[in-house]
Amino acid sequence: MKKTRSFFMVPYLVWIALFVIAPLILILYQSLTNNQGQFTLQNYVTYGTSWTYLKMTINSFWYALLITAVTLLISYPTAYFLSKTKRQQLWLLLIILPTWINLLLKAYAFIGLLSRSGTVNQFLTFIGVGPKQLLFTDFSFLLVASYIEIPFMILPIYNAIVQLDPALINASRDLGATNLQTFTKVVFPLTISGVKAGIQAVFIPSLSLFMITRLIGGNRVITLGTAIEEHFLTTMNWGMGSTIGVVLIVMMFIMMALTNDRKKKRQEVLPNEKSEG
Amino acid sequence: MKKVKVSSIYLILVFVLLYAPIFYLIFFSFNQGGDMNQFTGFTWEHYATLFADQRMIQIVLNTLLLALLSSLVATLVGTFGALGIAARKQKRLRSTFLTLNNVLMVSPDVIIGASFLILFTSLGISLGFGSVLISHIAFSIPIVVLLVLPKVNELDPALLNAAQDLGATRWQTFSRVIVPFITPGIFSGFFMAFTYSLDDFAVTFFVTGNGFATLAVEIYSRARQGISLEINALSAVMFVFALVLVVGYYFIDQYSRTRRQKRKNHQKAGVMIP
Amino acid sequence: MEKPIIELKQITKRYDDGFTALENINMTIEPGKFYSLLGPSGSGKTTILRIIAGFTDASEGEVWFEGKKINALPANQRKVNTVFQNYALFPHMDVFDNVAFGLTLKKMPKKEIRERVVNALKVVQLPGYANREISELSGGQQQRVAIARAIVNEPKVLLLDEPLSALDMKLRKDMQYELRELQQRLKITFIFVTHDQEEALAMSDEIFVMNDGKVLQSGTPVDIYDEPINHFVANFIGESNILPGKMVQDFEVQFVGKSFECADAGMRPNEKVEVVLRPEDLDITTPEQGKLVVKVDTQLFRGDHFEIVAYDDDENEWLIHSTNPVKDGKQIGLTFEPEDIHVMRFGEKETDFDARLEQYEEE
Repeated sequence: MKKTRSFFMVPYLVWIALFVIAPLILILYQSLTNNQGQFTLQNYVTYGTSWTYLKMTINSFWYALLITAVTLLISYPTAYFLSKTKRQQLWLLLIILPTWINLLLKAYAFIGLLSRSGTVNQFLTFIGVGPKQLLFTDFSFLLVASYIEIPFMILPIYNAIVQLDPALINASRDLGATNLQTFTKVVFPLTISGVKAGIQAVFIPSLSLFMITRLIGGNRVITLGTAIEEHFLTTMNWGMGSTIGVVLIVMMFIMMALTNDRKKKRQEVLPNEKSEG
Repeated sequence: MKKVKVSSIYLILVFVLLYAPIFYLIFFSFNQGGDMNQFTGFTWEHYATLFADQRMIQIVLNTLLLALLSSLVATLVGTFGALGIAARKQKRLRSTFLTLNNVLMVSPDVIIGASFLILFTSLGISLGFGSVLISHIAFSIPIVVLLVLPKVNELDPALLNAAQDLGATRWQTFSRVIVPFITPGIFSGFFMAFTYSLDDFAVTFFVTGNGFATLAVEIYSRARQGISLEINALSAVMFVFALVLVVGYYFIDQYSRTRRQKRKNHQKAGVMIP
Repeated sequence: MEKPIIELKQITKRYDDGFTALENINMTIEPGKFYSLLGPSGSGKTTILRIIAGFTDASEGEVWFEGKKINALPANQRKVNTVFQNYALFPHMDVFDNVAFGLTLKKMPKKEIRERVVNALKVVQLPGYANREISELSGGQQQRVAIARAIVNEPKVLLLDEPLSALDMKLRKDMQYELRELQQRLKITFIFVTHDQEEALAMSDEIFVMNDGKVLQSGTPVDIYDEPINHFVANFIGESNILPGKMVQDFEVQFVGKSFECADAGMRPNEKVEVVLRPEDLDITTPEQGKLVVKVDTQLFRGDHFEIVAYDDDENEWLIHSTNPVKDGKQIGLTFEPEDIHVMRFGEKETDFDARLEQYEEE
């Protein structure tokens, strides 16, 4: 059985080698070569000394931070109120439903909504503000990206909130805490793991949403993702594209290290340990 | 009582925000005017165009075929992967496997797309349906593993001993005890893999050549050219499709829940239900 | 009678789906006593606790605390504290912060908080545990922390929701002593919810026996054990032989086809009744000397006694506790005193029961 089981695992091991380890090595290797295939650190030097690249990185980081903050502010109360409703399963499915609509279609909807003579501008004209350039601005990128990411922030927070033992809230009130004190001292600290998971789920993709910047952000290279796409598919400078990719991967690891929940890790290990015994 | 109202107003507002763009698209799919600015009259014309669009229908079929094939293969590989990981005795080896498994889960799509593009080029694999299929299988495997693994871990070793004790061979134990037990995990893994594939744009965009397009890639290129109400009609159709799936899922879930509940009650009352 | 600290007046709790959890509950709780709410799961005992604590509202009726109606008072302003079933300790805080939680909310000086927390931990016999994480504690230790967290606030009433149910047998017995001792030392009112009749009998000054959202009987453990009001209470509290019978006249009851002298009265002549005989009140003798003759079926050794199951000629099952073993299959005689027979009327309410008891006991 041992041997047969190992035999069935072979495709999975091949997958790990070929599609997990090899790509990481390849992208690192590519970032260390120039267009002639020679080993060089030039890409990193260019990246580190070019104000354009650095500014773009800071911008991308800043936008991702804003998008994460906006979605968090909207999502936490949503998840909290959602956990108090009846028919939670139905409401939850209604939150998930929009994620099943391809994000390009949602972006496309905003092209119509935000265009020069679109619905939002019609409304702005109607209330006397007059039409504004909405599409192809930083604002429109932030808006659409936040819109798309909201469900991905709500779900982990909701999961953390419903896992909260309601007896703890009663205990807190029993010991004299007001609603606000119960929230700040008990509910929020105990659901922080959901918030962290939500930040992980939103921040990294926000660094790399190149299609939104292309469709809504006005074809400007304003995120790391757009830069990578441009270098790989337009200017064909794979070396530089890979370098930015490595930067993105490093950022990703930093983000994961910052938001990793040690306590939660401990709990996750437990079931495995049980199966061992 | 007042507090309840504040929360429901907030929730309604969020739901309106979430659905406004989608309903906006659907609303204008019936517009005679040809743009998304002024609704000038009702028409089915854009739906007629959509269903007569040979290229679009071919692409939809391609996308579905791709999703089906890739999720089937990913489910198979991932399930055996999960069984294999769970069978490892050393804790460190298991957590190494899990870490490697999760790399693709947390990597941004552009990184996956770009690195797969490098991989295919260096292996000399030509870009097209094949490269897209392989990529979809590759990024769907980890989610299958993550959904099957908890079920495998839940498997009580005593259950396997019991099966062997009752005379089952190793193969019978596998096919009659292990597989039925982890089937819910396998199904949800397959389902997630299917939606991952349908939903993907970025990875496909990197590894598809000129000849092959999925729905997402096609929408992207059409959307870049501007507004075409055929896309509105398409999103309406897709929304209805997703809605049917979600509502169906909800009712099946509710149904099985009440059945379970009923069964429990009957058991309490001492009545057996076959 | 002392001035009551808590009064429940005609409390009814109905849920949206029409389920009635509590029906017309009246309770008077005096200060400094140990009360138990005893009943099977779903009998509504925890709901009463939640209504007193303020976690849920009564649909009808009034809750009074120290002479004031407190229906509208939120939980955080009530002078009661709760020990929860699964302790509900805050997992993100250590032992000290858990116990100090209520005091810090009151903005008490740090030094005083420290003193009182240390003292509370001493009371529950966990000195030196202040900096432990909750996850490092055993079930029994968590239990003690939960009690410390509640009593550190010096509540007038401590509510305990099945606090011992998660502990193993040995620990549970130890904690019963400790809780009783703690209550007598602190001299505050304990309201203790349990489904374990032994626990309730051992610890309480007074017990409320509940079923289906109603209080069936209240009284001291001895009263309830000796004079259960109906079949349910007799069956739920202790072990008993319950037989159908007929009250021939005052102080004479008929069952298993024979008439016996008894200590009950105040019923209609020839009224159909139920008769309770506790297994430990049945004494074994020779078949000739026995008031009843039964045949031994099985017996189990219970450590401090033998539990004997026997059948009479009418196939009625008899449970007997005896310090000496008997032979399986042997015919034995059973004797008992007239006071050992307890007669229960069908559908008698607690107030009528008490009135009747008073009436004929005076005679």
